[in-house]
Amino acid sequence: MSAENNLVLAVPKGRILDQLRPLMDKAGIHPEPAFDDPKARQLQFGTNVPGLSIVRVRSFDVATFVAFGAAHMGVAGNDVLMEFDYPEIYAPVDLNIGHCRISVAEPTALSQEDDPRQWSHVRVATKYPEVTRKHFAARGVQAECIKLNGAMELAPKMGLCRRIVDLVSTGTTLKENGLVEIEEIAQITSRLIVNRTALKTQPDEIGGWIEKFQEVVNAG
Amino acid sequence: MNSGVKKSLLPQGLRDLLPPEAIHEASVMDGLLEAFSIHGYERVEPPLVEFEENLLDGAGEAMAPHTFRLMDPVSQRMMGVRADMTPQVARIATSRLAAMERPLRLFYGGQVLRVKGSQLRPERQVAQAGVELIGADSPEADAEVIALAYEALQTLGVENLSVDISLPTIVRAICDDLGLDRDAKEDVRSALDRKDAAAIAAMAGPVAGIFGGLLQASGLADKAIAALNELTLPEAAAAERDRLILVVERLSDMALGLMVTVDPVEHRGFEYQTGLSFTLFDRDVRGELGRGGRYLAGAADEAATGFSLYMDTVLRAVPKRERRSRLYLPHGTDLDIARRERTAGWITVSGLAPEKDVLTEAARLRCSHVLTLDGIVAVEKE
Repeated sequence: MSAENNLVLAVPKGRILDQLRPLMDKAGIHPEPAFDDPKARQLQFGTNVPGLSIVRVRSFDVATFVAFGAAHMGVAGNDVLMEFDYPEIYAPVDLNIGHCRISVAEPTALSQEDDPRQWSHVRVATKYPEVTRKHFAARGVQAECIKLNGAMELAPKMGLCRRIVDLVSTGTTLKENGLVEIEEIAQITSRLIVNRTALKTQPDEIGGWIEKFQEVVNAG
Repeated sequence: MNSGVKKSLLPQGLRDLLPPEAIHEASVMDGLLEAFSIHGYERVEPPLVEFEENLLDGAGEAMAPHTFRLMDPVSQRMMGVRADMTPQVARIATSRLAAMERPLRLFYGGQVLRVKGSQLRPERQVAQAGVELIGADSPEADAEVIALAYEALQTLGVENLSVDISLPTIVRAICDDLGLDRDAKEDVRSALDRKDAAAIAAMAGPVAGIFGGLLQASGLADKAIAALNELTLPEAAAAERDRLILVVERLSDMALGLMVTVDPVEHRGFEYQTGLSFTLFDRDVRGELGRGGRYLAGAADEAATGFSLYMDTVLRAVPKRERRSRLYLPHGTDLDIARRERTAGWITVSGLAPEKDVLTEAARLRCSHVLTLDGIVAVEKE
């Protein structure tokens, strides 16, 4: 873990970051200009706040960085938090951004003759094997998961498996690939997450940021 | 050579401790045990392996999923390798030492083995040291063990220590008071474990108000206690809060410089704790140094408290001490002189055969100095 007053905030790349930027501005975190330059190769960025720096990583890695204390705070969707369920992560603030849901989908044709109540075993392509297994296990269904890192919608089309578990926001991608959402597993939003040891040993600094982000969310 | 390397592969989570780490671990362990001992605690040494039903009884039940089992060919009964020494010490205190005067102060230090490491603590074999204070149910006893953990670690040079005090029974008491059913309790637990304020706020009725308030009542002790005092708590929970206030007050005298934080809802790993519990942290070390708290010992449910420190994290927090210098004694050095130098504080390494170039030989054997006819000479660093 870094030395005193040297806090690291881990943020995810991509879609969530666009929604997160205004919140960061309102919370008073202004990163150096290179942060907003998509061409920049830099990975770690300074900010206007002394001792606070930002790293930009993949959304799954945000949770890992924070769990191991490499970053003290981060922003991650509860899809990622549900998948890993690290005991070292606290998720104190719902940032009310990145709204979507994690759902089970299958080809439209199949859904017309399928009765999910009769399943005993399913094969599912997903980025979230843990969430998927837990969800189906709770219903008494054994799930065999095929881990993919993207383009889940392709899997049923190509005959890899018939069902997928993936994030859905508008449902357009599913529709375009001839899939239909049959079950929602959970609603997803992005959370401010903090490392357990960091919160316990630097309660004022980390607690201050939690309050600040909570205020920004309440005001928004 | 190849076969030698292949043989060096160890099962996951197990490792060889080499110089200088091995001696470092031993000296840190000695330092802790000495600190426990001079506070009037007495050492007990339970065996590595016990019958499963005794080992996993009562508070030991929590360790059941972490315990290695083996069959005893002699008695044909299942045995467990200890994954935690606390239940063993509690067993000793309430059986063989049942007749000893209370409060009984015991300490222990030894290796424990776990079926699986966790992501943050991949080691499966860890050294553990700790104390148990049995037969005392007062805030003074709670404060004593926390202050002892602090002093023991401080003696070893650990800086930036903090203790996080939790009240694992308070959430149970409030849940019972509100008459929540099992599913509702689980939802509350799961949200509190993640400090998910949004999920708590979304819950129905009085749940959101009181648990939302509890979540806010954490952080530095003064601030947290002020917030706790604002809450209307059921009787059992209020009693825990009053105990917390007394313990924090005592700690401000007994453990000067220890940062005390409070987190009333912390619960993970405290499932079997029956009252005020705590976790020790070092700001610069990932993960906790140790934890402890109230539990009921033995069949008689005797009030007890104590703590365990885990050597893997403690070692990361303890600064490496400057090791004593090694002195090379050329072959044929007088035995009395050798003895004198060791008394003077040197580690001596004797040459087993005469050497022409003693300086090179000394350097080869990692000695910083050589004893020559002109006295002790430093080996030049290349």
